[in-house]
Formats: sequence, C-alpha cells, structure tokens
Amino acid sequence: MVLSVVSKRPLARGLALGGYVLAVEWARAVVMRAPGTLFPALILGGAALVIAAWGWSPERLGLGRKRLALRVLGGFALGAVLLLPAAVRSGAAPLLPAGLALAAVAISIGEEVAFRGALYAALDDAGGAPLAIGGTTVLWTLAHALSHPPEFLGAVFAAGLLLALWRWACQDLVGPIIGHVIADLAL
Amino acid sequence: MRRLAWLAAAVVFYSIAAWSVAPGFYDGFGPPQPYNFTCPPPQAGANTKPSSAHLDIKIINGVSDANSAFTDDGQIVIGFLPGAFDVTGKTGISVDITPLDTCPKPPGIEFVTNVYRVTADAPLVKESGLTVRYSNLLPDPAAVYQASDPSGPWTSLGRSDQAQPYTVNTRITKLGYFAAGYPSTSPAPDAIKVGGGQTLPIVVAVLIVVVVLAGLPLAIVRRRRGSATAEDEEED
Repeated sequence: MVLSVVSKRPLARGLALGGYVLAVEWARAVVMRAPGTLFPALILGGAALVIAAWGWSPERLGLGRKRLALRVLGGFALGAVLLLPAAVRSGAAPLLPAGLALAAVAISIGEEVAFRGALYAALDDAGGAPLAIGGTTVLWTLAHALSHPPEFLGAVFAAGLLLALWRWACQDLVGPIIGHVIADLAL
Repeated sequence: MRRLAWLAAAVVFYSIAAWSVAPGFYDGFGPPQPYNFTCPPPQAGANTKPSSAHLDIKIINGVSDANSAFTDDGQIVIGFLPGAFDVTGKTGISVDITPLDTCPKPPGIEFVTNVYRVTADAPLVKESGLTVRYSNLLPDPAAVYQASDPSGPWTSLGRSDQAQPYTVNTRITKLGYFAAGYPSTSPAPDAIKVGGGQTLPIVVAVLIVVVVLAGLPLAIVRRRRGSATAEDEEED
C-alpha cells in the first residue's frame, strides 16, 4: 500500500527518497564517531546511498553516454572550482590519509548518485527544476549537519547548489561525480 | 546562456563561501569542529582561542572521586579513576588545565597541538587517561609528549592504538605540560597521504591545464560536426 502510493505520487516518492538519504547520512555521521568505524561507515554509507538510485534509468540519473568526453572534462573543471579556494588560500590544505582514499571515492559517488541523481530526478518529477535544485541543496546541507561544524554549512550549501545547478544546466551527473571525487581526495 | 549565467553565479557564490572557512569541509573526514590554535597555521583561517578548564574533585570516604577534566572546546580530556590523587590533608582536589600562551619548539619534536599545562593541588598517585584532539590541517601526531617545564626536556608518552578520529590517547602518571606531536628528525607519521598539503595548487593547476588542453580540441570538433550537420541539412 505504502509502496504503491510512493511509486505513483512523485512528491511522495521525493519525500521518501529524501528521508531515506537523510537517514543514511545521519546514521553514517553518528557511527563514524565511534573508534575504528570511519572506514566501514564511509564504505557502507556510500553503498547505502547508491541503493537510492534503484529503479531509475541511467539517463534519468544524468548518467547517459551522450557527450561523455565533454562531461568528464566538465568534472575536472568542477573539481578545480571546488579546490581553488583552498589552493589559493595558502597552498596548504588538510591531508587525507591514504587508507581513506577508497572510502572517499565510495562516499563521493554514493552522495552524487543519491542527491544529484535519484533525489534530483524524483523532485524534478514532483515540481520541476526549481524544486529539484532547491530541494537537493537543502537536503544535502541538512545531511551534513551532523558531520560538519555549523560554520562550515554555508560552504557545504554553496557546493551543493553549484553541483545541483550543474546537474540542471548540463543534464549531467558524470561531472558532479568526478568533481566531488577529486575534491574529496584532494582535501 | 541563462543556464551558464546561473552556473557562473554559483561558482562565485561557492568561492566566497569556501573562502570564509578553513579548507576541508567536504565529507566529514575532518574533526567534528575546527581546532582552536594558540599559534594557528596560515591555512587555519578564522581561529578561536583555545579554552581552559577547572575541575573540583570530591573526596568520598577518604578517596578522591572519579571525574574528568576537559576544556570547553574538548581539545584535552583527562579521566581520573577513584583514588587517583593522594588526598592526605585534603577536603577536595582542584584541577586546572590552561593552554600555554606560547608555542614551544623543542629540538627534535614538531608539535601539532597547543601545549597544555595541567595542575592539581595534590599529587597524582594512580595512572590516568589523557586524550588530546588534533587538527586535520597538520600531520597526525606520533605521540603525546610531557614535560615538567615548557622549555623541556620533553618525554614521549607514546599513543594507544584505539582512539576516535583526530584524537590521541595515552596514559599519564604525573601532571605537567602536555602536547601531541612527532619527531621532526623523521618524516611525519602516516606520511603517505593523498592530496592536501603543498600538492593542492599542483592538483588544481593540472586540472585547469587538462580542461583547457582537452576542451579546446573537443569544442573545435563539436563545432565542425555542428556546421557539417547544418550544411547537410541545407543540401537536403
């Protein structure tokens, strides 16, 4: 009954997806606080987020193969934009331990597939691009509320808005995935 | 064009927002809150002064009670077991934690945290647990160091393996000055890192070069294909 309502009503589907993605992100943030859980929490969190894309075609997620080379290049450009403020600031930035590189890739892909992929598509169906861009950006910021200090949430919001606008402007998820992976690996 | 304008505006908005905080806010790899430095490194951005702490420990049935002393910013925590202090002639134990105003640089050691002075009005007689939080802006510390005077000598207390991210734990048998760091004569521990550090400008420069070098031919090919299609359509 619930599944039937959720699958037939776009807004209900968007809300259900949003709730699922938020629950996964908050659970990950809480679990990561326990000693020794950082790596498994990031890997499992990334996998749980990818599940959000179940039932969506690659094209609806922004993962079609059209203009792939350009979109990959766009991902590099997005990565450069995301890293530029830190690079210009002083040439120094936080160091990501090598052991966390795989986890960084997993969570970056999971977040992009969930937020700018499935959630964007669901909210786009429910209320068009404005709801998709605004909704994914707000939920993305809320999702990071437990894992980030409050003063960082403005920058998190801005990054979410940039990635969502890319998804809208280029109908593409490959760029945000590549940009996000580069940013997480380099910072 | 409208979409491009929105994207450009988002890039500007993001750059301003990201500039206003310390780097490293992406997916929670950093500590739960920014480190409050006594001597902030250049990349720290806005910095708040580290906080102090005071704790009064009760004496129950002639034994000092179990309690924890910690600063408001949570950068240093000491857990005292029951009977941790010699309570002879005491009705209570007063413990103070104060961040040092200066940043000592002892030979052979690179500190990555503030130096904290921990004092009590009774001697410690039982081993206690010390946890020190550190920043993600600097290399991981190899150990917690202790001294009875900030000018040294500093002794390594090591670090236990089990600790939350961006914290080091150790055991202490006496109070004094504490800081976490690593021997500066050897490379920073956990030296195998990806990204960050001084490589970041290189990473960004390489990305820009790749985008420009690969983007131009791609754009030309796409334009040629576009004009060829238009010509074909005219011929038809």
